[in-house]
Amino acid sequence: MRKKRDEIGDGAEGLGPELGRLWASAPVPKAPSWFAARTMARLRQEEDSKKSWFGMPRWVLMGTGLALLAVGWFRWESQPTIRDAEVFAALNAFVEEDRESRWWAGL
Amino acid sequence: MRIGQDEPSDENLMAQIATGDEEALRELIVRHEDRVYGTVARMIGGAGPDAEDLAQQIFLRIWRAAPKYRAEAKFTTWLMTVTRNLVFTFCEARARRMEVSEEIVDEETEETIQRKESVAGRTPREDLSGKELIEAVEKACAQLPMKQRLVVHLREHEDMDFSEIGEILGISEFGAKSLMFRARENLKIKLSAFLTEPS
Repeated sequence: MRKKRDEIGDGAEGLGPELGRLWASAPVPKAPSWFAARTMARLRQEEDSKKSWFGMPRWVLMGTGLALLAVGWFRWESQPTIRDAEVFAALNAFVEEDRESRWWAGL
Repeated sequence: MRIGQDEPSDENLMAQIATGDEEALRELIVRHEDRVYGTVARMIGGAGPDAEDLAQQIFLRIWRAAPKYRAEAKFTTWLMTVTRNLVFTFCEARARRMEVSEEIVDEETEETIQRKESVAGRTPREDLSGKELIEAVEKACAQLPMKQRLVVHLREHEDMDFSEIGEILGISEFGAKSLMFRARENLKIKLSAFLTEPS
């Protein structure tokens, strides 16, 4: 049989009879009647805010966006660099080609 | 709340919640809302928007933790552990905010002293049924350290064993009993004006 707290000698395990009665005189608040409904509404609101376009979670879209940016940046950085001399050589080649064309045309 | 024979147990409801069953969560909320809300309100010093917000957060945390939940301890022990974590964090944050506005606290302390003086002049019988007694008990409760307050509430209101209380607080059964002893001594001092027995 379970021992009751108000039994003699059991005061060491509880508030004791008199202090216990005083403590019980201050009622413990009960949840308001709308509590469950409001909690469910908040749950749905929070779950919805996690979702985004096409029902996909927002973190999936953000992750994809970041991955695309990272790939773009990497490809941009790894493209071959062109030195000034190479640019001028290419331009000269155009000029030479233009002169030759003019000579052949008898101009 | 007593669970009927044909009603699913808390553990079964948790298994359903883990699969995303909102109706099971609603059932669990209805079953435990008074326990959670009452504990939160008692711990933070009264019912109101803060108590409602915290109690809601506890159930939302349960919803998110459901897939990982393993029924190793009694459900109520786990529920109260989640409650303790959130409430203690809230109380610590509030205590830090209160440090900033010391003036307000000083005014409150002064008010408490004035109230104590007015209570001291009366006989316990006059006060036992009064609103003043309720206020004094609530005040004494609010002045207890957090862990002592929780131990007294769980023992006196939730009728929990000290082994369970120890589990909730992450201490031994002896540690929980020790906290109860200290809480009783503190309450005896704070509520001495209402006690007829010598402390």
